[in-house]
Amino acid sequence: MEWLLEPFALGFQQRALLGGAIAGLMCSVVGTWLVLRGMSFFGDAFVHGIIPGVAAAVVLDASPVLGAAAAALVMVAGIAVVHRQTSLREDTGIGLLFVGMLALGVVIISTSDTYAGSLTSILFGDALGVTVSDLVVQAVLAAVVVVLCLLLYRPLLALAFDRTKAEALGMRPGRTHALLLALIAAAVIGSYQSVGTLLVFGLLVGPPATAALLARTVPMMMAISVVVSLLSVAIGLVLSYHLGTAGSATMALVPVVLFFLTLGLTRLLARRRRATAANGMSLGVGTAEPTASVSGGPT
Amino acid sequence: MSATVVRAEGLVLGYGGQVAVQASTFTIPARAVTAVIGPNGSGKSTLLHAVAGLVEPTAGTLQVLGSPPPVARPRIAYVLQSVSVPVGTPITVREAVGMARYPGLGLLGRRNGEDRRRVADAMARLEVSGLQARHLTELSGGQRQRVYVAQGIAQNHELLLMDEPLTGLDLVSARTIDRIIHAERDGGCSVVLTTHDLEEAFAADHVLLMSGRVVASGPPRQVLTRENLETAYGLGALHEHDHAAAERARFIDDPAEAHPLDGPGPR
Repeated sequence: MEWLLEPFALGFQQRALLGGAIAGLMCSVVGTWLVLRGMSFFGDAFVHGIIPGVAAAVVLDASPVLGAAAAALVMVAGIAVVHRQTSLREDTGIGLLFVGMLALGVVIISTSDTYAGSLTSILFGDALGVTVSDLVVQAVLAAVVVVLCLLLYRPLLALAFDRTKAEALGMRPGRTHALLLALIAAAVIGSYQSVGTLLVFGLLVGPPATAALLARTVPMMMAISVVVSLLSVAIGLVLSYHLGTAGSATMALVPVVLFFLTLGLTRLLARRRRATAANGMSLGVGTAEPTASVSGGPT
Repeated sequence: MSATVVRAEGLVLGYGGQVAVQASTFTIPARAVTAVIGPNGSGKSTLLHAVAGLVEPTAGTLQVLGSPPPVARPRIAYVLQSVSVPVGTPITVREAVGMARYPGLGLLGRRNGEDRRRVADAMARLEVSGLQARHLTELSGGQRQRVYVAQGIAQNHELLLMDEPLTGLDLVSARTIDRIIHAERDGGCSVVLTTHDLEEAFAADHVLLMSGRVVASGPPRQVLTRENLETAYGLGALHEHDHAAAERARFIDDPAEAHPLDGPGPR
């Protein structure tokens, strides 16, 4: 127990835990819809898309949150332009903006004197450097994201079900999709300080994907995803403390490892269930007409 | 059947500059089953989308239940041709059917007794009550189509639109849905469905024959004449090996009774 609690004795570790937990909560709720709508590639591109905004803010000594928000707007507008003005599929626009914005971010930050340090901080975050004011901003964004996700549950579920059906039901799928993009932006902007722009994607996709293997309903998927996120943050910080590894990267790695562990476990259990059912069938258990092989067998 | 549920005059429909339905004038009677039949790409689904208020007319006028389609939308239920639910989406049958009540509930409204009764009744009528805890991805195609029809009838509606509701179904599902279609009509609802099946079209009260426009409109025996079908499908498209279709076509009493609209069909 001491091994588990020791890392959180220090104030900056407690703030890292709290920051990671808030990021995990936001990313879980939004990430559930991201995964259900098959928008993971968009999410990946999006988290890289805010880099030039943050980089410009670092160079100009402006607010990184505002910079990230501006870059997010440019990213979404750019994807929309490519999609609407050409016959190319949406993923081409996402790919173009992904590379373009990442490269632009590196170009901007390369003009800074502290190029390497700033870039590392933007890409990989600084979980142990989270301040109380960072936590306040993060908490406000998290409250907005969670409340809006709850308010939009029905339109988002209808949209995940079928866009045309959502429209026929009068659920305004276009507006819902735009709001989802805004929520993704808010979750990414609110989380990058803790886990970095590159690694926030781990919390955005890892826990919801793990939850999708276990959940029977969307609310259950969100709840499991939150639990997986909180576990990932806590386990990540404990491991990074004892192993001396980077806190943000370790936090982002844990949900991916948990996904594959859960996948293996669920597949193993499913195979066992099938084998049990097959044995039951061959023994005549649960069948209306016992087979000949059951004669004289166990009753 | 004097009242009309849909009235179109010079209606033109299209997507992104492409015309899908050329100028067509027709009416669809209320409290009747209307079949929209025509070859692939003839504009059947586009027409249904327009009636549902999902496609705006490029030209002409379209009135549904006495109003423009977007205004009439809360009184229309639409069962889509193919709702592809992504594999792994955790949506149960009960949740999918319950979605039909969303328009009246808004964002935060709580389901009342009437909402629950309508959902339970729709699932019972489509014989999917026993599947309500199952995921849509765990159902057969026929079971899933029954769920989508249950979703349609659980919605408040006076007009039920169904895009190929019986295509590719097993016998049990097809019979169940066919029974529902006629029960809806008998209950005072208007039903408009698209089909590729002449038998289904003959079983309807009213038929729209389409081929890039509405070629003919009226009672099945007046519309589904050999001449009209050849106009819509092209020569030799009456499925020479399809006995049922050929026999039906032969039994048309008098081809002169047919009422093609707007002159000869395209090409």
